[in-house]
Amino acid sequence: MSDQFWPESWRLGTRARGVGLLLRLLVVLAPAAALGCTRLAADSILAIEVVVIAAAALVAIAPDSHVGLVVVALVGANWWASVGDLATPWSIGVAASLAVFHASAAAASVVPPSAVWTRAMCRRWLQRCSVVVCGSAATWGVVAAVHDQRVAGAQLLVAAALVVAASGALWMRGAS
Amino acid sequence: MTDAEGWRPTPAHLRAVVGGGSLAVAAVMARRPDLLVLAVPLLGAAVMAAARRPEQAPVVTQSIDHGVLREGDATTWRIAVADPEGRVEDVAALLDEAAWTDRQPATGQVAVALHADGDEALAIAIRSSHWGRRRVGPAVVVASSAWAGFRWVGRDEADARLLVTLPQPSPFDAVAPPVRTPGLVGLNRSPRGGSGTEFASVRPFQPGDRLRRVHWPQSLRTGTLHVTSTWADQDRHVVLMVDALTDVGVSGGIDGRASSLDVSVRATSSVAEYFISHGDRVGLVVLSARGVRRLAAAAGHRHLRRVLEVLASIERSSSLVDDGRMPRVLGEGALVVLLSPLLSPASLQRAATIADRGLQVLVIDCLPEQIAEWADEPLIGMTWRIELLKRERELGRARAAGVAVVPWHGPGSLDAVLRDAHHSAGRGRHR
Repeated sequence: MSDQFWPESWRLGTRARGVGLLLRLLVVLAPAAALGCTRLAADSILAIEVVVIAAAALVAIAPDSHVGLVVVALVGANWWASVGDLATPWSIGVAASLAVFHASAAAASVVPPSAVWTRAMCRRWLQRCSVVVCGSAATWGVVAAVHDQRVAGAQLLVAAALVVAASGALWMRGAS
Repeated sequence: MTDAEGWRPTPAHLRAVVGGGSLAVAAVMARRPDLLVLAVPLLGAAVMAAARRPEQAPVVTQSIDHGVLREGDATTWRIAVADPEGRVEDVAALLDEAAWTDRQPATGQVAVALHADGDEALAIAIRSSHWGRRRVGPAVVVASSAWAGFRWVGRDEADARLLVTLPQPSPFDAVAPPVRTPGLVGLNRSPRGGSGTEFASVRPFQPGDRLRRVHWPQSLRTGTLHVTSTWADQDRHVVLMVDALTDVGVSGGIDGRASSLDVSVRATSSVAEYFISHGDRVGLVVLSARGVRRLAAAAGHRHLRRVLEVLASIERSSSLVDDGRMPRVLGEGALVVLLSPLLSPASLQRAATIADRGLQVLVIDCLPEQIAEWADEPLIGMTWRIELLKRERELGRARAAGVAVVPWHGPGSLDAVLRDAHHSAGRGRHR
């Protein structure tokens, strides 16, 4: 929750406990895990770990800030620049880390830091996080399967994909 | 993006849309399907959040179980949330801390999964630790949709409530007989004979006696008419005068130290409760920096409630000023109980003036005994001790002048004075 309606968020952030504290730990640990997976899969290394961890720490303090987008961008850019193997299974680790980071930051922004989380809240966030991680794993499966085969380009397929992407973007814009 | 009934996208949703979208575009543009693997969790979260976006604002109702409490008692602040669409997932609330209140949870923060947990858990216990009137709430209510994608924040100032905390009466009881007053109706037995209900004696008939009072067995035995005499019932008219012009000492609420005003208010509450429970008529005069507030004498528990509410509305004075003002009208023949820290000569002069009007006056000294010991600095402590010595001298003079002054010690504080007043009245020495 931002300072706009949570004037004491900075002070209250230091009073996080229980699940609220765990979420803030995950916000810092998940990008670190993503960087670790990237390092294991990398051909060359970008030295941006300190920046990513510092940004993640800022997100842990203020989960409702836009700094989280910077963390995602840095982790993605780091992967893009460092990893050459397109079908490496470490991408699942990075994707899972990003999912945990995003879910933790989002969940931490939902309730005040000292509030007690109910079982139902914990269960639902865990389930949703698991679903998107499974989605990543399935995508990696497709990528790995396709990567080994040299699939020729198809104009119809590209056009259909563009139509689907444009439709999706328009729908998202309307829904948001 | 439009605000549907106050629902706004969150930074988390923006992160999912922009982050996931950028990775997906990069995947396509750079022919890097591995970036698509990274994008899927964020895109999935964004799609789910957008698909479950609420359109209607939740209906929030806030209430407090009790608007009037006693010091040390607790009540509950409740928040009910209705979600007609069923798209609200998590609801969090924060109730700001009001003065002299303790909250449970101590941070005033609660959260629930609305449809799984219900809104019963959106309740915050409030314990009031000091008398007075204070505003509580409203709580900030924050509702979130799926994946914290959209958020609705509600805080309606109209939901604030006034919490009246009545002073907790100190334990008080008096066993002394009542002071005689001119009224002849009530629950107390008058020392004079009259048309009451309590048996006094059987005596020979006198002209004016009612025939229904004739005691036939005694009359038949003696051969002359005898009647049953009774004691008159008397009503006490008590005026409680609270000196709220000064307040010294530190107030720590019901669990801590008591300032002079705390002692005065709680003692007044105790004395009022005692007299009203005995069927007496009690009036109240509050001398405060804002003027004189008066409550006419009456009896009954509803009147006690009025007395306590007036006491709860007393505001502290920021300065030690006593201009010696006097309430103009006091009930004739009333027993006046003046509750004051007696820090200024004007307080004692006030008591003497009331006594000069022919009213029975009891002065209750409400200055905390440890006032000198509470001083943070030795110099202030010494100043207090000197001030207390001066005050003791003035009290001695007042006592010598016939003004009864007793320190407030709770139960039995007034016994000696009431007993003395009763005997004085019996000898016809009304002051």
